[in-house]
Amino acid sequence: MSTGPFPKVKVGSSLPSEASLKRKRGMFQKDLHHMMYGFGDDANPLPETVALVEDIVVKYVTDIVHKAQDDATKRGKLFTEDFLFLIRKDLPKLNRCTELLSMDEEIKQARKVIWVDEEKLVSVD
Amino acid sequence: MKKSKDPFEIAFEEQEESPPESPVGLDENEPQTSAGPSVNLGGDFDANPIVHTTDPSTSLAVPLSVGTSGPIAKPKEDDEEEEEENMEVELGKLPSRGDPAKTAKMQEILAHFTADQMSRYESFRRSGFQKSNMKRLLSSITGSAKISIPMTIVVSGIAKMFVGEIVETAKVVMSERRESGPIRPCHIREAYRRLKVDGKIPKRSVPRLFR
Repeated sequence: MSTGPFPKVKVGSSLPSEASLKRKRGMFQKDLHHMMYGFGDDANPLPETVALVEDIVVKYVTDIVHKAQDDATKRGKLFTEDFLFLIRKDLPKLNRCTELLSMDEEIKQARKVIWVDEEKLVSVD
Repeated sequence: MKKSKDPFEIAFEEQEESPPESPVGLDENEPQTSAGPSVNLGGDFDANPIVHTTDPSTSLAVPLSVGTSGPIAKPKEDDEEEEEENMEVELGKLPSRGDPAKTAKMQEILAHFTADQMSRYESFRRSGFQKSNMKRLLSSITGSAKISIPMTIVVSGIAKMFVGEIVETAKVVMSERRESGPIRPCHIREAYRRLKVDGKIPKRSVPRLFR
């Protein structure tokens, strides 16, 4: 496997479903840079390493989406719960995701309250 | 990277202003060594933070991502999510989910971080996949134009933890081979292979990435 310049077309595009997928090179490059540093890599990760991890992540996301879709074919629509079902065995990920989702809910509620309060202020003035 | 005031930063500054309340009577002058035994993180704190800047952060990151110390992971994730989401909303300090004792312990540890560790920790907390990019990727995979925000959030979270698993396994591989410096693709490949053996990679009947 060469670590030379990466093609613009996604790796694994021999599959009919992904044949038309043209990914911009380095879509997650900046984010991955910081992420890898945070997880223990050097302050300046090698570009080929970042590119490889990006490929791996895209493949991983593709695989779990396809798996979730397989499980959800009966329904026809893809729900967030399908992903949660997929990672049910992986406790750290499951906990993290439920945490993120409840945080999102809280923030939505908080925003609603603030918006309503502002309205009241405007009407009082 | 968001430049907003991170509650995590606020906690860090507050820690500096007032003398840290240490249940075990920590000495301010002593670095990691005193923080180590009083905190049960499940990972070893390197006693010499100056020499091994990567190790403490890795060992700190390992319990968090592996989840063996679940309760500790929780309060931090409050802050991260708060900071991740729309910062126009002045939320202040969200009620801490986890143990207040655990949060206090966490802040105690943070007070003893070196500049290097702090920057790495900051990267760890703040880094994430851009919602727009992830949305685009997801809609191109599913074929449907509409992807809900919670789904983006969940997939981004899963992907980030996955990156963490890869990088940490790669670091383990590097230490086994007694190599140093930036991670090389060969380490990543070996890490990927190990994760596959562990069954962490979803198996599909598709051509493999590495033959």
